[in-house]
Amino acid sequence: MTIFTINEVTKTFTNGEVDEQVLKGINISLKEGEITALVGASGSGKSTILTIAAGLQRASDGQVVFEGNNMTSMNQEEIRKIRATDFGFVFQSAHLVPFLTVEEQLMLMLDVSESPLKKHERKKEIDKVLKLIDMEHRKEAYPASLSGGERQRVSIARAIIHKPKMLFADEPTASLDSKRSKDVMTLIRELTKTLNITTLMVTHDEEMLSYVDHIITMKDGRVL
Amino acid sequence: MKIAWKEIKKNKVRFTILGSIIFLVSFLTFIISGLSNGLSQDNAALIKDLPDGHFYMETEANETYNLSRIDKDVQDNLLAKQKDAVALSIQMGFVNDANDKQHSLAFVTSTDSKLFESVEKGEIVLDRSLEKDGIKVGDILTNNQFSGEFKVKGFVDQAKYSHAPVAFINMENYQEIYRVMEMQLVFIPGTDNEQTITGLQSFTNKNFLNTIPSYSAEQMSLNMIVWFLVVISGMLFAIFFYMMNVQKIGLYGILKAIGVKTSTLFKMMWTQMLVITVIALALSVALSQAFTMVAPEGMPFSLTFENTVQLSIVFFVIGFIGATLSGIQIKKVEPLQAIQQGEV
Repeated sequence: MTIFTINEVTKTFTNGEVDEQVLKGINISLKEGEITALVGASGSGKSTILTIAAGLQRASDGQVVFEGNNMTSMNQEEIRKIRATDFGFVFQSAHLVPFLTVEEQLMLMLDVSESPLKKHERKKEIDKVLKLIDMEHRKEAYPASLSGGERQRVSIARAIIHKPKMLFADEPTASLDSKRSKDVMTLIRELTKTLNITTLMVTHDEEMLSYVDHIITMKDGRVL
Repeated sequence: MKIAWKEIKKNKVRFTILGSIIFLVSFLTFIISGLSNGLSQDNAALIKDLPDGHFYMETEANETYNLSRIDKDVQDNLLAKQKDAVALSIQMGFVNDANDKQHSLAFVTSTDSKLFESVEKGEIVLDRSLEKDGIKVGDILTNNQFSGEFKVKGFVDQAKYSHAPVAFINMENYQEIYRVMEMQLVFIPGTDNEQTITGLQSFTNKNFLNTIPSYSAEQMSLNMIVWFLVVISGMLFAIFFYMMNVQKIGLYGILKAIGVKTSTLFKMMWTQMLVITVIALALSVALSQAFTMVAPEGMPFSLTFENTVQLSIVFFVIGFIGATLSGIQIKKVEPLQAIQQGEV
């Protein structure tokens, strides 16, 4: 079942007096529970389409439809609500909040998503997710004391703790070595399949494509 | 706001530095304000410590009280009508002590009133600063224009006029020294009973202070010093809060990206501003009040708790504006743009 569609999306950036169209009518459909990878050379527009899909920036034209609702006609607050409750993000860098412990990072996400869980249930849920990413022993640690791989695992945990319907990942393994990259991709695949989360990710790394269900190749702002 | 407090706890050094700046700048402002008020008090405590009311002086004196001579009938009529009214005169002069040492002072005489010291003929009541010059109760003082002698009856606190200690003397003695029978001024306490009296000009306490030679010029300079300091300190606060928040724009971008409400970010900034400012100002108020107790003797220093609270409110409002201005920038910025601007 299709949960997310991108219809004829364009994006134009104005650079001084010059308009540069980086997306030229993108069409993508994502099926529930599947992992789709966007691949392509640098500057092909894959990160731009990912951030538009994730509601982090607006399209110049076209439609982004999530569960039948056109996000392009929504106001900022409506998009924020969707980001908080139905979307999860994994960035290239972990982008954790530096003054919160691992447990607090996840608790913050549950607060933001207005999780119906009670405090003790939230703690249980956090323990469960930390066990899934094998980080229970570091729950009191701050980001500065974690390794790059650990940080990225926490960032994945933060992205899925509130059980979103969509996960957007922008080169989640770019800052990791080969072994850690495989670990992270295995984790993303296991978690999204277990929780039935639809995933759209950008990657440069061909090795990571074995973990995804579909591959979309982009070139010069178009889907090939 | 748990997240705001957690950030403060985790970044103690950064917030302590910011708090120290607020503390030092506000402490400096309080101390300068105290010195300014002290000088002002030293110049005119005699008038400033009176209740609010109206002074009357002769219109022809052209706002120079030394030249004012209030007609005796007019004065008697006013004092009869107004129970609390008092007629008074002030003139700069000097006395010599037993060792023939000369002490400059401001002679003050008045009709019977609770507002001024009541002194018998041949007696004198002095400001306490003269006690520190070695004058004691019972000492005999002289003045070359006075045929008799003054016996020191006692001392009073905070009786200063034109930076000189005040000497309260009997009206007859005053008339002999200055060869004048009329009084210069009539003071009627109460703000709501200003009267129109033919031949007399009325002044509020504040307006009367400005007729004292040099008072308004001195006050203007002192007030400018204090307010420049307040404005510059306030701007410094605002800039520091602004810089602190702009530095964290990447963090705010991440929080916005994961769905944190902009109002929550504002609450976070305000909470941090509130915590730092309240702690820094509380310390500053406490230390500046403590300074009033240990300030060197003779130093004109007057800092009331009300003054420090008023200045604290000004600082607080400016800090709030600084934090809010940076918040407006964070409100405008797109999450993605914020993430790209400040890598966390």
